[in-house]
Amino acid sequence: MTDKDLLQQAASAAGHAPAARERGSYLAAFAVLVALTLVEIGVVRSGGIAHRAAVIALVAIAAAKAALIALFYMHLRYETRILKVTVLGPLLAPAVYGLVVMLDAAWRHLR
Amino acid sequence: MSSAVAPGHDHPAVAWPPDTQYGSATPGKIGMWIFLVSDAFSFGGLLIAEGILHAGRHSWRPPGEPELGILFTAALTFILLATSLTNVLAWAAAVAGQRRRAALLLGLTALGGVAFLVGQVQEWFGIWSPGLLDEGLVFGRSARASTFYAITGYHGFHVLVGVLYILAILAGYLRRRVGERQIELLGLYWCFVDFVWAFIFSFVYLLPSLGGA
Repeated sequence: MTDKDLLQQAASAAGHAPAARERGSYLAAFAVLVALTLVEIGVVRSGGIAHRAAVIALVAIAAAKAALIALFYMHLRYETRILKVTVLGPLLAPAVYGLVVMLDAAWRHLR
Repeated sequence: MSSAVAPGHDHPAVAWPPDTQYGSATPGKIGMWIFLVSDAFSFGGLLIAEGILHAGRHSWRPPGEPELGILFTAALTFILLATSLTNVLAWAAAVAGQRRRAALLLGLTALGGVAFLVGQVQEWFGIWSPGLLDEGLVFGRSARASTFYAITGYHGFHVLVGVLYILAILAGYLRRRVGERQIELLGLYWCFVDFVWAFIFSFVYLLPSLGGA
């Protein structure tokens, strides 16, 4: 493979051109993020939702918003699987640790 | 792939050969991602600390402490979300060679960041109306107050650094010293600030305001 081939392969594999053309998806992601934020406020303000369901909904929406930002605005969806794992894998550690702490707190509260 | 002339050289920047595992991600991008992951741990540690302190108390909000302004913070959230959009659109414009549009969008992103910081100063200290400090939420008086200022302050510091980063990149872009690659790295940092805020808005503002908190 010549240097020119390598450069062309790099250019085609860069993922930048398709990403840069996807302005519509950036706007769609923004609309969804705004809508999810409004839903969050609705969950807090409504008062008619069970506490546990509201907590689960708010945590899930926060995770969904963060995932949208990472995938679309930080271009993680265009990266290789290895890079995705490199980034997302370690982030699971604090999430699992936080979950364990919450379960521990809930267990002590019920005891 | 960037065709801009490398600073201090008379030849175009050399494209990084694609890696079998990391594709076309440059060392700069991988380095930025590793930095952001490590930074996410610090935010995660702060939020988990808040969760532990919260779980160990029957009442999270001591008498006399104000409620947090959900609607005001929601407005700040919309501003931050909008800046992530303008930032990524700036990068797309730079890739398309629309330099003026890219510079304008970068400027708008910085302006949004400044608006967020002004909002945070209003929230803490009060500019046009009393702030949380005036209303009795004082650092050190309660776990709620201390964790609130520690977490939002740490995030605000990131926003401030982000605004300076944007201005530095914008200045370099206008002088043709930086290209879309640097704007993309900037975008990773700036959108990370938004990424983290999604959790802070939920865990610091929304969840404690639910009944029974």
